[in-house]
Amino acid sequence: MKAKTLEEEKTHEVIIGAGIAILLILTVFAIILGVTGYTPSENIRPLAQFYLYYAMNTFKKELWAATPEAVNSMVWDYRGYDTLFETSVFFLAVIGAVSVLRLPGVKDVVSKGILSGRGLSLIVKVITKFIVAFILIVAISIAIHGNLTPGGGFQAGAAVSIASLIGLAAFSRIFLEERHVTTKLMLPIRVLGVVGIGLVALVPAFIALSGILVFAMQNQPKVWAPNFGFPPGFGDFWLSGNQFYYNFFEFLAVGAGFTVIYLMYSIPEYFYKEVLGKK
Amino acid sequence: MIEQPLVIELLLAFSFTLALIFAYLAVMERDLIRAVVFAAGQSIAFAYAYYLLFAPDIVLAYIAVGVGIYSMILIFAISKTERYEKV
Amino acid sequence: MTLSQILWIYMYLTLIGLIAVSVYGIVRRPNLLKKIIALSIFGDTANTFIIFIGFRRGAATVPILPTLNPTLEQLIAFKNTAVDPLPQCLVLTAIVINMSVTAFLTALAIQLYRLYGTLDVREAVKLKW
Repeated sequence: MKAKTLEEEKTHEVIIGAGIAILLILTVFAIILGVTGYTPSENIRPLAQFYLYYAMNTFKKELWAATPEAVNSMVWDYRGYDTLFETSVFFLAVIGAVSVLRLPGVKDVVSKGILSGRGLSLIVKVITKFIVAFILIVAISIAIHGNLTPGGGFQAGAAVSIASLIGLAAFSRIFLEERHVTTKLMLPIRVLGVVGIGLVALVPAFIALSGILVFAMQNQPKVWAPNFGFPPGFGDFWLSGNQFYYNFFEFLAVGAGFTVIYLMYSIPEYFYKEVLGKK
Repeated sequence: MIEQPLVIELLLAFSFTLALIFAYLAVMERDLIRAVVFAAGQSIAFAYAYYLLFAPDIVLAYIAVGVGIYSMILIFAISKTERYEKV
Repeated sequence: MTLSQILWIYMYLTLIGLIAVSVYGIVRRPNLLKKIIALSIFGDTANTFIIFIGFRRGAATVPILPTLNPTLEQLIAFKNTAVDPLPQCLVLTAIVINMSVTAFLTALAIQLYRLYGTLDVREAVKLKW
């Protein structure tokens, strides 16, 4: 009885696999032959031409976004709601991961002598000190110049968390705790970043109490709401409205969120068995 | 002779072939730590392909996430569970 | 069939091969962490398809203006030679969401190992509460 169901199951799987493969091959050949018009073409679509033409158009200031980089203007200005909800999804994922691996009764794992290791060899330690400093400088530069060069908030946050990770791997946990990189400090920084994004998005709402027509997450004055806008910049110091603040707060939120995940994951397993075994 | 679009397409074909080889080795490997290293190599091949497709924002995000975060999370998870899978 | 068209068809076939390898890894490998590795490969291939939609052959450039005071001719030349920036914005969102789901899934896998003692799917199915 068991052998028969195993063989039936196997032919069942093979039939499903072959079906999926045939369907995929037919779809891709249809796309190649130009049924949907998506093969690499010489022109782009009118919507993309609109975004590229009006992103930094000083002659027609009713529709511009004051950013020379088209991708960042779409992440925070033209398509701002997508990024707002993506940030909230990331926030909830960190909360979920931290609450599944919970430590009942112990808020922050102070090293009681179980987590003070020796680290790696001397060559690795010296090189790691240089690399951590370089990574911090490069990550802050990516975050602050997000509206002028490729980069932005999320890329900088992911890069700065790698610095704390290699500090944890090459040295021990005490190296991080002496510099106050603990979960007790990183959770409030993460909340500060997300609250900052929310407040910058709601500044037009407070202005709307005095009767002016605005819309949420408004960056520059538009044709239908021409009375409110963030200052785009002073001479060479180009702020691009509220995108500078968005990039900086997203950098804080993402960097602190990833550091919390690393600190929770790197506690060895016998410590969990000690704490959970007592209950 | 060889002009610019053709060079880009040749390099793209090379990087996707490399990604396919790494992905096949990652799925067929029984030692999980070597599978994680092959998956990181596949992420680097994809990052080179995104650079050739004129998308610099995605290169920065993808290297930090694919090589740094995925490898770290999976290696910590392997150290808390088993290392070899039983096929 | 010029060499260029053959190369594009070869690239599409390679991406189909990647999808097939990752789906095989999700369905037929019994370890949970191997399934998570194959799921991440699948997500990256889907992102590459999205970027192919916005690509432009010929004289293509990065969608970033190099000056802060562009003239009208520079804007029109920029509009005619730059790559589509909209798929790149959507792929950034997709990368963040895939990474959040993977981080949460590994936390669940570790908790499953603590409760059942095994990460093998075929054995965990047979155990009762």
